[in-house]
Amino acid sequence: MRTKILFTLFVSAALALVACGKNEEPKTGPTQAPTSAPAPSPAPAPAGIAVSGVTAGKALGADKKVTAPTEAFAAGDTMYVSIDTTGSGTAKLDAKWTYRRGDKVAVVKEESMTINATGPATNEFHVSKPDGWPVGDYEVEVMLDGKPAGSKKLTVK
Amino acid sequence: MSDDMPDFSNVKGGSSSTATKIYVVVAGDSLSKIAKREYGNANQWTRIFEANQDILKDPDKIYPGQKLKIPPK
Repeated sequence: MRTKILFTLFVSAALALVACGKNEEPKTGPTQAPTSAPAPSPAPAPAGIAVSGVTAGKALGADKKVTAPTEAFAAGDTMYVSIDTTGSGTAKLDAKWTYRRGDKVAVVKEESMTINATGPATNEFHVSKPDGWPVGDYEVEVMLDGKPAGSKKLTVK
Repeated sequence: MSDDMPDFSNVKGGSSSTATKIYVVVAGDSLSKIAKREYGNANQWTRIFEANQDILKDPDKIYPGQKLKIPPK
């Protein structure tokens, strides 16, 4: 009988120890996970490039900005379009120059460039015609990653 | 050209940026040709080579499809 009681006490104590151990196991799991998982961080600033301004003119400075803004040109002028961008990343800029007479449209020139900006930037496209521009109405359309980002109606007098 | 619309086939164009441009190499390109087109001076090819040393080991070996960083003028 005494042996039976001792045996029962021993088994109970062993079970209690095992139970204690099991109770501690879950503590190690959940407490480790947060330390290994990255802490929530503030939302990153919006990535990407946006066009903040489009200016046309007949002269350009070293900073790529138009120094003589105008939308009226003479036959011998070089036409410039300056495009200010904000943001950082890589983007494709396109400029499509067209000539318009009534409902007819002729493509004058299409140019594109891909930029990798780390902050505000100024970009320019230009066109010239050795034998002079025909008098009439022109337009330059600017696209950013294939989406319209601005345009300017130009005239040659 | 359709009807009486002017001929614009001789129009010359170009572009530049204060940001780094990305240029995709096409067949027949060389760093000198790219420098001539981008900077107006073929001798400026070293600027392009130096800006792309992470992908260029030999300035005479560039391949179509390679994307080169073109530093601002």
